[in-house]
Amino acid sequence: MQMFFQAAVSGILMGGVYALIGIGLTLIFGVMQVINFAHGDLVMVGMYAAWLLFSHFHVDPFVSILLTGPLLFLLGALLQRGFIQRVLGEAQENQILLTIGLGLLLSNTAMLIFTSDYQLLTTSYSSQAFSVAGVSMSVPLFFAFIVTMLVAFALYVFLMKTDTGAAIRATAQDREAAQLMGINVSRMSVLAFGLGAALAGIAGALIAPTYYIFPQVGHAFTLKSFVIVVLGGMGSVVGASIGGVLIGVVESLAALYLASGLKEAVVFALFLLLLLFRPSGLLGRART
Amino acid sequence: MHRYLLYVFLWVTAACGGSQKSEAPADAPKADEKAGPIKIGFINSITGPEAPIGENLTNGALLAVEDLKAAGVTVELVKQDDLGKPQVAMSAMEQLVTGDQVTAILGPYTSANSNAVAKLAQQYKVPQLIPVASKDEITRQGHTYVFRLNAVSTQYARSLIDAALSFGAPKSIAFIYESADFGTSVSTAGKLYAKEKGLAVVADETYQKGAPDYRSTLSKIKAANPDLVFMVSYVADAILIMRQSREVGLSPQAFLGGGAGYETAQFESEKDISTNVFSVTQWTPGMDWPGAAEFAQRYQAKFGKKPTYHAACTYASLMLLGETANKVHGDREKLRDALASQSWKGIVGDVKFENYDGFTQQNRHEMAVIQYQNGVGTVVYPAERAKAKAVYPFPGWK
Repeated sequence: MQMFFQAAVSGILMGGVYALIGIGLTLIFGVMQVINFAHGDLVMVGMYAAWLLFSHFHVDPFVSILLTGPLLFLLGALLQRGFIQRVLGEAQENQILLTIGLGLLLSNTAMLIFTSDYQLLTTSYSSQAFSVAGVSMSVPLFFAFIVTMLVAFALYVFLMKTDTGAAIRATAQDREAAQLMGINVSRMSVLAFGLGAALAGIAGALIAPTYYIFPQVGHAFTLKSFVIVVLGGMGSVVGASIGGVLIGVVESLAALYLASGLKEAVVFALFLLLLLFRPSGLLGRART
Repeated sequence: MHRYLLYVFLWVTAACGGSQKSEAPADAPKADEKAGPIKIGFINSITGPEAPIGENLTNGALLAVEDLKAAGVTVELVKQDDLGKPQVAMSAMEQLVTGDQVTAILGPYTSANSNAVAKLAQQYKVPQLIPVASKDEITRQGHTYVFRLNAVSTQYARSLIDAALSFGAPKSIAFIYESADFGTSVSTAGKLYAKEKGLAVVADETYQKGAPDYRSTLSKIKAANPDLVFMVSYVADAILIMRQSREVGLSPQAFLGGGAGYETAQFESEKDISTNVFSVTQWTPGMDWPGAAEFAQRYQAKFGKKPTYHAACTYASLMLLGETANKVHGDREKLRDALASQSWKGIVGDVKFENYDGFTQQNRHEMAVIQYQNGVGTVVYPAERAKAKAVYPFPGWK
């Protein structure tokens, strides 16, 4: 039983970070109907930013999210203005090729600058853990989870309680109607992409102390966040949060009760089942 | 909805099948006397997830090209990048053999890629010398054109378990390893050998490399309470597994790291988690082979870091391959015969490709068991070459 709790807790903590990545992706999709295949690479940029700040300026990664967040917001806003904006409303193939291309550009630029060496961000607490009722929790992952919750909550408040948030939601619901109501939808798009990128970057900075950093690290996260978003319902922020934690827990429990080599397979099997019975995802609206 | 899924699959296939070729001959071919320089194809993981280790192979090969040149042998090294993927390695092989018309092939780095390329080497009748890939099967298929310098994966496990048994009296063992060729082959050999030696295998866990979370697997192993934990990982997951072992409080009598990730400079430098971990290596200057210490110094001076066994084995492989290919003037058939019959001395000790225990053209290479003590990998086994006494059992986490 203790092993079950251990696995569940690890899964929830890990899932929190997945959720943050998924929320960013779903936000972008919700507002622009563009799937951002460069999302994992934005996570990678966040990881490198945290690593640089830590290794050169000794800024703790949990503090540096105050810098990496805005930085990634700017990068996201620039990408939206410079590239994504031009393909909105174009064929989906073009949008996807564009974001894949941007992703490759980001990861290969990182390779050029940082080489393909694995970088480790080793803080004094990187391998520390504390124990609650016999269940051990990784210190950095625990803090990452807390920060994730705070960020997700802040985002929720922003989307639900502010005018700008309402405008973003309106744009996501119906772009043209929102425009008719006097909402500047192209500004909302920039905002949404910037926010999505900032969330990806923050997630990257948060897992940097417990993971390792290399230019292609983003690919795994792109795929995982896509699964999370579809699972939760495309465009649904709450759905992505639940999806992220769910995937973390399923992975962890599958590793415990089946075999660690099978955990990805279990995730995808569940994913396929869900698609069969609830094609719009857990909290998604039916789409045509 | 299904359209998006289709795109995901397209994206995944594109990401997996994409091939970037980087061709950069180390030296511009000079119009030599008669035949021109000896062309040797070098397949290696230059980019992709294996690239950090692949770089060591590249460096070792560069030094060998220099030294061969100093010895009057001009070698043109035709490099191909396999991105760490077997299918890319195979197309690189086709290109080298039919396009570049190389005399012999050096590499690839990983076991999966070497095994894929070995079948083609046999098919095209091109001598292939494998410097570091350790999966047993590669030299157990009766390939007459495939040679291997390094010790096979069975030996990784045997050396480590022998060492542990010589230090104490462990009764049980748990395995955790990455699920690709290298991990499974080392562990399969380890499990067989452990049973032979009367150790109970109490846990047997594979994982997919690149996963960020091994905690539930490690707590499962902790619950099985093994005396020995045997781990096979690549560079980054090795550090992650040790960090998380510390987190969940896994503390057996000994951590046995089956090579690769557990013997990198990066692992060594993470003193918090590497101290008292055992590893086994194909090469270390601590083994006092002729020229090994000098090679280590030159390598350090040129590349600014310590040579790994990958660098040393690749260097030794290319040296003997270049010299021998030069003697036979780049003839593939004669080279094969010469490799099968001659012997060499070098920085990895004596090299002779022999047939034994079902292996063909396999060098019987001696491995060193090391333990990280005060941030330095120190030879602790075999006893006659040991530089320090092993710390056993594991004193627990601080």
